[in-house]
Amino acid sequence: MKGYLVSCFCAVGALMWCVPSALAGIESTDSCTDLDGSLDEIVVTAVRTPKLLKDVPVQTILITAKDVARTDATNIEELLQQEMPGIEFSYAMNQQVHMNFGGFGGQGVLFLVNGERLAGETMDDVDFNRLDMSNVDRIEIVRGASSAIYGSNAVGGVINIITKDALRPWDIKLNARIGKHREQRYSLTLSNRYKIVSNVLSATLYGIDNYNVESGPEPATRVFTTVYGNKTWNFNDEFTVRPADNVRLTARGGYFRRQLTRTYDTPERYHDYTASVRGEWNLDTSNSLSLSYAFDQYDKSDFHRLSGLDIRSYSNVQNSVRALYIHSFNGGDILTAGADYTHDYLMNTKLDGRTRKQYGADAFLQYDRNINDRMEAVGVIRYDYISDGHVSRVTPKISFRYTPAGQLNLRLSYGMGFRAPTLKEKYYDFDMAGIWIVKGNAHLKPESSHNLNISADYSKRNYNLTVTTYYNKVNDKITTGLPYYLPGDDSQLYLDYVNLDGYSIMGADVTIQGRWNCGVTAKLAYSYNHEFTARDKSGNRANNQYMPTRPHSLVARADWTHDFSKKYSLTVGINGRFLSTVSNKEYKDYYDIDAGTIDVRYPAYTIWRLSCSQQIYDRVKLTLAIDNIFNYKPDYYYLNAPLTDGISFLAGVSVELN
Amino acid sequence: MRITTKVLNIAGAAAILLPLQSCDGIFSGLYDETPAEVTRTVEGQLYLDASDWGKWHYLDLEAVADSIRSNPGYNPSSAWETMDIPTSVSATTDADGLSGLYTYWYDVFGEGISRYEFRSFDPTSPQPEPEKWSIAIHRNNIRTNHGSIAATSCRDIDRLPTSVDFLESLIFEEDIWSETDVWVNQDRMLMGLIGNQGIKINRTGSGWLRIDIPPMPPSFTLDNSVFIVKLNDGTYAALQLEDYQNAAGVKCCLTINYRYPLSFQ
Repeated sequence: MKGYLVSCFCAVGALMWCVPSALAGIESTDSCTDLDGSLDEIVVTAVRTPKLLKDVPVQTILITAKDVARTDATNIEELLQQEMPGIEFSYAMNQQVHMNFGGFGGQGVLFLVNGERLAGETMDDVDFNRLDMSNVDRIEIVRGASSAIYGSNAVGGVINIITKDALRPWDIKLNARIGKHREQRYSLTLSNRYKIVSNVLSATLYGIDNYNVESGPEPATRVFTTVYGNKTWNFNDEFTVRPADNVRLTARGGYFRRQLTRTYDTPERYHDYTASVRGEWNLDTSNSLSLSYAFDQYDKSDFHRLSGLDIRSYSNVQNSVRALYIHSFNGGDILTAGADYTHDYLMNTKLDGRTRKQYGADAFLQYDRNINDRMEAVGVIRYDYISDGHVSRVTPKISFRYTPAGQLNLRLSYGMGFRAPTLKEKYYDFDMAGIWIVKGNAHLKPESSHNLNISADYSKRNYNLTVTTYYNKVNDKITTGLPYYLPGDDSQLYLDYVNLDGYSIMGADVTIQGRWNCGVTAKLAYSYNHEFTARDKSGNRANNQYMPTRPHSLVARADWTHDFSKKYSLTVGINGRFLSTVSNKEYKDYYDIDAGTIDVRYPAYTIWRLSCSQQIYDRVKLTLAIDNIFNYKPDYYYLNAPLTDGISFLAGVSVELN
Repeated sequence: MRITTKVLNIAGAAAILLPLQSCDGIFSGLYDETPAEVTRTVEGQLYLDASDWGKWHYLDLEAVADSIRSNPGYNPSSAWETMDIPTSVSATTDADGLSGLYTYWYDVFGEGISRYEFRSFDPTSPQPEPEKWSIAIHRNNIRTNHGSIAATSCRDIDRLPTSVDFLESLIFEEDIWSETDVWVNQDRMLMGLIGNQGIKINRTGSGWLRIDIPPMPPSFTLDNSVFIVKLNDGTYAALQLEDYQNAAGVKCCLTINYRYPLSFQ
């Protein structure tokens, strides 16, 4: 294992640093400091006003449509695992997928699609399968607290997925991919534009079977034996009208369905319905206004094959209205003001009272001061009110960018984050198979955090280096506590949601990218995270219901593209990820914390993929890939083991007509 | 192309505007409502909520047949008699001193429940029983009153062969002692510790609903074959598990097709 890890790093390291030497004879004709044009991409997530990536005062990670195409990812989980270090998708209890993003779980990272929140959660995470990659224009990732801009849940970061517009009169894209375990993916994107109207329709069908995996003897902790596949259907439509040059009206609708078969007789079904309308007006050259309404409903049901009944057990419905006003001053300063109203409805058969409702209202004000060509500062303050429990929060954020030289950007930002307890965390009442009763806690305080980010990025010729460090102090983190019996009754265990004591997370990311005229591009990104032990208010080690954060992780890729003619080009790429070992102190006996703890060591692993794609006539792309080329199989399938049973082969074809 | 474009645009707009938004959601009609618990009388069918880990449910098939003879509208599901599994430590056990709770460690999160180790024994009073009974059910487990059960390959209880040859081809198995099947106490299940009642069960009959761990949560596999029960008075009954969940998805709520008495020629 160690041997081939070293081999992998050596290979990528050699590629990163030796290729330029080997190509020393080839004079670079490109003095541009932007590797792939992404620095001139417009991003909106960090400050809610459009800005060039290189100018935005808050460090933003951009994953472009080109990156998405290169990874051939089906959903956001597959994409982020390949593109970013410091992010891990593992299993929670019940084998639901849980994300760990630099020490923050699903409730601490806000996922947005075109700026809108997603309804529904399972074990604290949104349904990642909903986030289909077939029509993604870009993904903007802002690390650190952004509650001053996005409110609750933006504690550890914001991930905003932005879909494509129709740019041509008509465009048809077809994609198909097959793989191991009867994996099949078929997608269609149909976009058209005619005068003032345009429409983009995308549909993806995806399926993969369940498969079994086998662990060695005497596992140190829980293992899983079956990887559950899914069958998903994802349809989205975006309709845009531009009745005038300064007006744009957009309506979106979508339907998603996923079926997971854990027990043959009772497959689990997940459904989502979305609809939204947005109007954007450029009132004049200095003023713009945006109004939007969004609806999102996420349902869960169990289909009883024997009786033919499809019984719904969960429904989360969010209705949101948003207003955003932007005023640009002559000197380049920008004032942004916004307000949102969200109605949140939750039906859950495991909820005390079965249904609960609340609403949230907020207003924020942001001032973007363009001090001079080299310096920019942004300050934002926001007030949030949430009706259930009458939660009020004021959260600020300040960010600063300094560009001492054209190729160097320094950024500093401080922000507060907060997360209001969810209706589930307040009112849950779930008898978990008689093991214990998970109880909500109506007296939970909101989770709050302080976040400091410092970053630098430097671009020279064909290289780009980015270094980011961050520190987060989290107070009153909401999670489930230790199990307990009621006084005088040892017949039933309870597990309550509680606020933990303060704890902190710190880390650093380093990314280096290079591009050479021979057609080679490469990227190496490393992330270090240190999570200080969380304790409850009594000083006991907290009962972390999820996998611990791995301290070291790395992703690497190298691609070589050659245009043999105008009609044919070839791309060969290798990419991989490495996640370090992590040790975790876990209670020997969850029912008796006095029995002490044991150290459970979760092993390191690395997975690599080799792919080859041929582009024919700019219309047809054939892709062959070997996933897990070193045939890595975990000795033990712990909940954070990679979902692989060895080497696998993928074959795909894409056709584009326009 | 223009016509296609227009049609697509109109269809797209219509699709988006179609849903009538609501604060409490839309499309509730796409789902089925949870029906009320079954109280209806279905000829030849029994319903039993056997989901409680701490209870045995007894049935006297002969008494059911007599009741139906005297009252054709009689609901056989009302004939179940429920008795708690003793869990308090008691000095009074059965004659062999075996009755009690046997705590075993199961490799719940490893190899699964096929691997287990004994941990402790707490004697309890013997399992109470009605004066007269034919079969008893606890979740997926079934036992007989000194009878035996045979599995068949028949899956249609109405087309069960009636020949003596068929009967003679069956292999009847009596109840056998178990300390690892009748799960009573799951309070420490996350540690893999489960308290089981020590009692005789019929393994062949209990095969009508197999519970496996892994995966976690457990998987349930229904065998809808017809099982033949030989009662201690020499009569025969046929049992077939049709469903093991109620409409709300609660496991071990059993719908059982039955025929009694059977006659073979």
